[in-house]
Amino acid sequence: MRIIIDEKPVEVEPGITILEAARQNGIDIPTLCYHEAFGGQGMCRMCMVEVKNGTSSRLVASCTYPISEEIEVRTSTPAIARIRRNIIGLLYRRAPNSEFMRQWYEKYEQPQSRLSPDVEESCILCRLCVKACEEMGSSAIAAVFRGTEKRIGTPYDDAATACIGCGACAQICPTGAIAMTESEDRRTIWNREFALVRCQKCGRPVGTGEQLEYIASKGGSALESGLCQVCRKKQAAVRVSEFYR
Amino acid sequence: MPAETNSKPNEEMLLAIINNYPGENRYILSIMQDMQKQFNYLPRQGLEMIALHVDSPFSQVYSMATFYKAFSLVPKGRINFKVCDGTACHIKGSNVIIDQIYKHLGIRPGETTPDGEFSLETVNCIGACALAPAVLANDRVHPKVTSAGIVEIIKSYGGHVDASSK
Amino acid sequence: MQAANDLDSKLILVCCGTGCLANGSREVYQSLKKQLTDSEVTVSTFTKPTGCNGWCEKGPLVKIMPDDITYCQVKASDVPAIVEKTIQNGELLERLLYRDPQTKKRVKSHHQIDFYKKQHKLALRNIGEIDPASIDDYIARDGYKALAKALRKMTPSEVVEEVIASGLRGRGGGGFPTGIKWRAAAGQPAQPKYVICNGDEGDPGAFMDRSIMEGDPHTVIEGMIICAYAIGATRGFIYVRDEYSLAVTNLGIAIDSARRHGYLGNNILGSQLCFDIEIVRGGGAFVCGEETALMASIEGNVGEPRDKYVFPTEKGLWGQPTVINNVETWANIPVIIQDGAEQFAALGTAGSKGTKVFSLVGKVVNTGLVEVPMGTTLRDIIFTIGGGIPGGRGFKAVQTGGPSGGCIPESKLDLQVDFDSLLEAGSMMGSGGIIVMDDRTCMVEIARYYVHFLAGESCGKCTPCREGIKALLDTLTAICHGQGREEDLLYLEEISHTMQDASLCALGRTAANPVLSTLRYFKDEYLAHIREHCCPAGICRELTEFEIDPATCTGCGLCTKNCPVDAISGEKKQAHIIDQNKCIRCGECIDHCRFNAVLVR
Repeated sequence: MRIIIDEKPVEVEPGITILEAARQNGIDIPTLCYHEAFGGQGMCRMCMVEVKNGTSSRLVASCTYPISEEIEVRTSTPAIARIRRNIIGLLYRRAPNSEFMRQWYEKYEQPQSRLSPDVEESCILCRLCVKACEEMGSSAIAAVFRGTEKRIGTPYDDAATACIGCGACAQICPTGAIAMTESEDRRTIWNREFALVRCQKCGRPVGTGEQLEYIASKGGSALESGLCQVCRKKQAAVRVSEFYR
Repeated sequence: MPAETNSKPNEEMLLAIINNYPGENRYILSIMQDMQKQFNYLPRQGLEMIALHVDSPFSQVYSMATFYKAFSLVPKGRINFKVCDGTACHIKGSNVIIDQIYKHLGIRPGETTPDGEFSLETVNCIGACALAPAVLANDRVHPKVTSAGIVEIIKSYGGHVDASSK
Repeated sequence: MQAANDLDSKLILVCCGTGCLANGSREVYQSLKKQLTDSEVTVSTFTKPTGCNGWCEKGPLVKIMPDDITYCQVKASDVPAIVEKTIQNGELLERLLYRDPQTKKRVKSHHQIDFYKKQHKLALRNIGEIDPASIDDYIARDGYKALAKALRKMTPSEVVEEVIASGLRGRGGGGFPTGIKWRAAAGQPAQPKYVICNGDEGDPGAFMDRSIMEGDPHTVIEGMIICAYAIGATRGFIYVRDEYSLAVTNLGIAIDSARRHGYLGNNILGSQLCFDIEIVRGGGAFVCGEETALMASIEGNVGEPRDKYVFPTEKGLWGQPTVINNVETWANIPVIIQDGAEQFAALGTAGSKGTKVFSLVGKVVNTGLVEVPMGTTLRDIIFTIGGGIPGGRGFKAVQTGGPSGGCIPESKLDLQVDFDSLLEAGSMMGSGGIIVMDDRTCMVEIARYYVHFLAGESCGKCTPCREGIKALLDTLTAICHGQGREEDLLYLEEISHTMQDASLCALGRTAANPVLSTLRYFKDEYLAHIREHCCPAGICRELTEFEIDPATCTGCGLCTKNCPVDAISGEKKQAHIIDQNKCIRCGECIDHCRFNAVLVR
């Protein structure tokens, strides 16, 4: 199927989103809540684009709009620039503590707003952490409450019982809003402490005990014979080379 | 079912509610509503049991319990005042009623008195706009409540009011 | 019911809508039943509790048929007199009749009252006339005839075409043509298909859906069955606010009796149609009135909307083709099928056909539910039917469309109300709330009120809605507290436009309407707050002081009596004084003064 993005005709698979089509063709649309692994969430609305279908045109979120007709897409117009600027302004207003947002903020010229100086928030509620926890962990966290009170949390804000300490949430978080600290043999995340298991050979942390158990329960193995993946590969390579010698 | 409210939840009672429904996600809301009706709040144990029953993460069940306003995670008072803050009530002075309740009972919306007697919340339009401003005491509608009237209502439910004012 | 139709017997209808119940109509009903069994009345009599008559202001209402007598504000203590005099001897009780404020004459029947004269009831046709718990009552008023007609005399596509021809547009707010929606779902090959009734009425100040579900549940059910036939659906859901306990009860009774009568279940009325309905109780979330959020909620998830680039008619509930309509829309379907599209389309304006139910509330004499043809002017609704503003105060604005709507000023009172004219005026139809505001309503504070409402009701999923509302709320609050700056007004507009353009669902896209419409029509009030640190309506406490005009004060003492903090003093028949240190600026004095002697400074 042929569509037009920014006056450039491109060939796309029907059913994929405008954002995917644009990225496949090297056209950049800014996003905050999008990750290839999870697909479009339609939350941050940074990826709004203009879609023209025949004579009617409208603004849509490119990460959730599936292409089913021969449309014409514009990814940067004055109206879209205004939306993006205001979204960045609003999110920076929400999370002034985040270096990530400050950098975005400086890229866009901003209208004057009332910033509350005492806010210590970094989270922009992109929910990538929730998605990561769903896919890689154990759904220990969720978006809780609603409206302007909405936030990411564990049930009752307690130490997360379902958490396996894998740290996927903290790794994917763009703003560093999820606190994860590591000491010699402990990892602390979501108010819970986990014992770290280290590779018997190189001493690198492989994960938490709970995480390894979880992976094992899914039929995988992260710590075969007490070694991390790197050391295991090395060992295998040594064995292979010994075999052929 | 006011007679049943405020009974202390135990596993047996919670199971009795949960087992009325098949273990599917679509019944979470109904189970929660029944629990809220019986206990006036959603006990944590109840939410954990729902998660097991429908085989969903506890975080997802908790997320729902905090999303829907019909539910409370803490016990409500014996008398729960719901001050309607629909538009009609608002422009006829519902905020004055809220202030009066705070003055006499010391509670703001979302709070319960330390003795567990009274709690206060504001609710969206209850569809009784012709009676604005309206206050619900448990399920009873008090119509056209004035700032003096709310004091009488508090008294009628056994509340002690600040004697220095009307 | 048969006996009630007997000319010699009398039928007493006691309004048991929410408004009347709160004013004691249950006691009136019970007392009537008791009195009629206990006393030796020789006239055969039937007493029925009915749904809301709409005229909540004058409740509890008692209607006596076939004499067509309407008694207002009836108390249980009036019951012996009603039974002895009116029922037994046919005498009128003058004191319980409505007194026309213009002619000062007592009026016997509600049909002669201005409040009802201009109304045209389609969706509300049965409410107040039948016992909602009785399917026989519904059937006696031509109930389920439309269904029989559709099943026996029309093909599914003829039903769809009839609904399209009627011009009916969704009454829940969007105003999307109902028949077009049905046609889209009918054309989908996937099975199963679903039919949903959206009864999650949440606009503050609107209660027509509640009234229909409570007072005439079968009309909703009949409408849904007809749709199921038209699109080929097998299951239906009615999503109701759990707070509407009477609606939940009455719908439950109605579904049960419809099943027993063969209107629901397998092979309905001997046809091939198999369809059943279940009730889903909502969890208290305004956003669930949005259809994709509502479906997420039925599925057992958090009620967050999704982008609707694929319509629910293609992929709706559980990913299946789904038609979702609002309660009032469903109530119109049997009328359209029974009387024909042409008759329905004869009412209304070019773009909006039929009637609309409005809940008329706020600072208006006759609060209640009114149903008028589309195109009736706001002036007619507020002044002719509603009786104008009470207490001799001045009209300031009328708010339509709930939190997503806007405030319309006096200059637009002759606007003919329909979907398109309201949009043009910067407001919207919404579900049909009409909230009248007088000069004691602060337009900045009312904008703040709606935004505050939405701050708690937004689902919080997308940035423009969640963060935009917060930014609007902070800015409006600052203005109400006297800390506004002129550049704030530009900021409000800027953020509002981004919310309109980029929000995920209709809630977010319309959330700024109250702000934009008040900025458009009442900018001077914003400027008074910012430049002069004054709230002209005397509502924003930080900016308000009340004083009594000694020249107009008669010293009647009414303000002193109503002041909750004893801040007003003065001798009888002498001008009174307000102690500013004690005053909490609640406004009770100004609202109670009959001489307009309390001034806002």
